[in-house]
Amino acid sequence: MHLYTLTNSNNNFRMIIMKPMKFLKLPALLAFMLLLTGCGSSLVLENVDYSQPLESVLSPDSDGVVHDQRYAIQFNITPLLEYEGTDSVEEIRLIRNTPGFYFVTADGFSNVYIFSPGEGELSLHEEVELPDGPISEPAFNQRTTHIELINQSSGQTYNLDQNGIR
Amino acid sequence: MNAPIKKIYITTTILLLAFLQTALVAQQSDYQIQQNFSAELSELTQRIDTTQSPGELAKLEIELDELRSRYAEHEELINAALYPETYQKRMNETEEQLSVALDNASVIDQLNSRITSLVGEIDAYRSQITDLNENTQALREQLQRAESNEERQAALLTQYRQSLEERNSFVSGFLQNLMSRYQNVDLGTQQEIAEAAERLDDNPIEILKSIILDYINIVDESTSLETPDYVAMRAQHEYFSEVWNSIGSNLVNTFSPENSSETKTEIDELMAAWVLSVDNQLWESLNDTFSQNGIDLEVFTTPDEFYDAIYNYVDNGHVTSLERNSEEDFAVYQNFSTFWNETVKAEWGDMLIEGEILSQSQISEIDIKLNDWEEASKPTSNLMFILLIVSVAVIVGLIVLLITKKN
Repeated sequence: MHLYTLTNSNNNFRMIIMKPMKFLKLPALLAFMLLLTGCGSSLVLENVDYSQPLESVLSPDSDGVVHDQRYAIQFNITPLLEYEGTDSVEEIRLIRNTPGFYFVTADGFSNVYIFSPGEGELSLHEEVELPDGPISEPAFNQRTTHIELINQSSGQTYNLDQNGIR
Repeated sequence: MNAPIKKIYITTTILLLAFLQTALVAQQSDYQIQQNFSAELSELTQRIDTTQSPGELAKLEIELDELRSRYAEHEELINAALYPETYQKRMNETEEQLSVALDNASVIDQLNSRITSLVGEIDAYRSQITDLNENTQALREQLQRAESNEERQAALLTQYRQSLEERNSFVSGFLQNLMSRYQNVDLGTQQEIAEAAERLDDNPIEILKSIILDYINIVDESTSLETPDYVAMRAQHEYFSEVWNSIGSNLVNTFSPENSSETKTEIDELMAAWVLSVDNQLWESLNDTFSQNGIDLEVFTTPDEFYDAIYNYVDNGHVTSLERNSEEDFAVYQNFSTFWNETVKAEWGDMLIEGEILSQSQISEIDIKLNDWEEASKPTSNLMFILLIVSVAVIVGLIVLLITKKN
């Protein structure tokens, strides 16, 4: 498995493609996690709803940075475009589901990218290849249990969650 | 097609349509819905802003209702997009905007109706006053042509006077109408009418100007008029002046708001020119009429001088009668008294007062002085004196007789 991360360093985002790493032995990992948990705070707020009621339609600036003022997020999409294999897009569609994953796609994309937010970065959690090929005029809708993706030109819809097409 | 197959066909069609509708509903983008809502509402508010016709605004009201019913189911979605504003707030604001626009349109509509009515009335006044002027003018020309025929001239003069009276009556009605409309008109209404009146080609002020000019023209060009006609004209001027003083400011503020003081001055000057024209004829004519009736007054050219002239005439007669008490003085008194009571007071009295030529109190003072003159001018009888002499003589005779008998 590859881990792709959109990071923000000195206002420039870069995609780091990490090479496959060797897994630590499971017992050692569990012990390490227990140690970390024991050292941190025990306060956890549960049932947090991160969902955005509406998708954000964002146009990148000349540097490829998109800025969503309403939901207060800014990042550079250049690495994503390179990964998708396209030069530029007019706008991207962004929506966040209840657990807090970001769904990103754009007109002509063959994939939906699902990112999990980290400290100053968005890490690719799942790359969902659309079964009917590149999507035209995509739109995300927030639904109670999932994210709905519409191909507005064909009427095709896909129900997504952070794990892919349901 | 038999019945069961037909039933299956219809059911399939309904299901297919239902599926398609569901599919269509499912294809809607929430983002697009709120975008469409904002765009449609924005377009509607712009149209409300620029529409003035009540009919068009009523159509927009229907469109707003349709928009509300179309997007009501998406209220929650739109609220999320509009936060911190809400769907209801936007709709209420637009409804309020529409309500204000409808009120404004109603006011504009009323103003338009008022202007239409005003234009109609002004046209009617203009037309009628023109007819009256033409009639008066025609009679004046006929009078001038009939100078050689006294009988015909007298008949024409009667008609001419009737025509002037009719004109005066019409103008008085017009002034009365103006008074009732503009005497107590508030500032807001003045401004509303002023805005609408900008579209008028003619307006009451212009009509007033032309009426005054016509009056001046009638006075200057009429040669056959007599004292009562001029007295009546002065009375008409005073009534006009009273109305103008009462509504002049409101009229100029309404119909000439940009140069109200200049317009008021212009009318004031025309009024002054009118009364000057009347007075030029009036004093001379009055003097001639008194003179023709054997009453020679001092020269007068103002109402006060006219009063002084009459009062002095009566006072001088009174003094003379006191001094001489002659039959001749009594005849002078009788002549004046007859003319004063039967002509001046009986025929001209009201118009003299209305025209501010003489006031009621001045007439009363002349009456009082005239009574004094009457008392002084009545010839005193010698009969009592003679009877007294005779009585004294009889008494003296009787006394002498008694004394003589005793002796």
